Amino acid sequence: MPYEMKTEGMEEISRMLTELGEKAQSVAALGLFDGASVMRDELERGAGSIRTAPFQFAPPGQTRLPSPEEKDIIVNAGVGIARFDKNGSEVDTSVGYSARGYAYLKDKLKPVPLIANAINSGTSFMRKQAFVRKAVRSGGSKASDAIREKIESLVEGMTNK
Amino acid sequence: MPSEYEALVAALKLTSTPVAEYGWKTRPEGAYYVVSLESETGRFNADGERLDRSWEGSLDLFYPKLTDRDDLIEATEEILAETFGASWYMNSTQYETGTGLFHVEWVFEAIDEPEQDPLLAAPAEEENPEEGDT
Repeated sequence: MPYEMKTEGMEEISRMLTELGEKAQSVAALGLFDGASVMRDELERGAGSIRTAPFQFAPPGQTRLPSPEEKDIIVNAGVGIARFDKNGSEVDTSVGYSARGYAYLKDKLKPVPLIANAINSGTSFMRKQAFVRKAVRSGGSKASDAIREKIESLVEGMTNK
Repeated sequence: MPSEYEALVAALKLTSTPVAEYGWKTRPEGAYYVVSLESETGRFNADGERLDRSWEGSLDLFYPKLTDRDDLIEATEEILAETFGASWYMNSTQYETGTGLFHVEWVFEAIDEPEQDPLLAAPAEEENPEEGDT
C-alpha cells in the first residue's frame, strides 16, 4: 500500500528555488534524493526489526509470525528509490520494494512485495507488523530535514560564487 | 489501555467460528475482526509529568466473498466514528487469493485519558474570608 508524504513549512525553500529559475528542478531533485535515502534507511531498519518464529502453519483461529526465511528475503532484497518523475517544477519519487523483485521461498519464486505486504498489513494467517507505516511516521521529519539542509547548502554554494 | 480502545473492542461483535484443521482451511467461516494497538504516536508532558499520550492502532476486518460488503463496512465505520470521532481512516482493501477472504484495514488513534486532567480541572476556589463588619 502506498503511503504519501507531504511536507509543510518549506515556503522559504520554495522561494529560494523560484529565484534559481531553470536550475531549480535539479537542485530540488538532489534534495529529494537525500530525503529518499533517509526513508530508505528507515525502511531497511524497520525490516530488520521484524519478529520471526520458525515456520509452522497457523493454528486454528490464530495467526503465525513470519519465518526467518521470509524475513531474510525482505532484508536481502533491500529498498530501492524509483526513477525521478520530473513534471514541470515538481519532482516526485517513490521508495519501496521493486514490483519486479522475486525470490525463492521453499523452491518457489515469490514476489518480494507480496511477502512484504503480507507482513506489513497482515493476512488471515500472518500476524501484522506494520513496519512500513512506522518507518514513514518516524522518518518523515528526518527526511524533510535532510531535504531542507541539502537544498539550503546547494543554494548557498550557488549564490556565494 | 486507552479507554477508547476498550470501548472499540466492546462494541465489535465477533462472529467467527474457527474450523479445526491446519493449513488453508483454518480460517473462520464468517466475518471477523482483528484489533491491535501498535505504538505510541504522541505525548503531552507538563510539570515533569506525563499527562496524556496517544496510541496508533489498527482494525482489520476479514470477510468471505459472499458477505454483504457494504453493510459490514458501513456498520464498522459507524462504530469507529462513534468511538474515535474523526481520528481514523481506511488504509487499505485487499483480497487474499489463497483463502478467498477480503481484508479491509482501518487505522485509528486512541487517547490514553488520565483519571483526572489537572489542566482541565476546575481551579481550587480560594477562600476569601469575608471581611468583618466594621
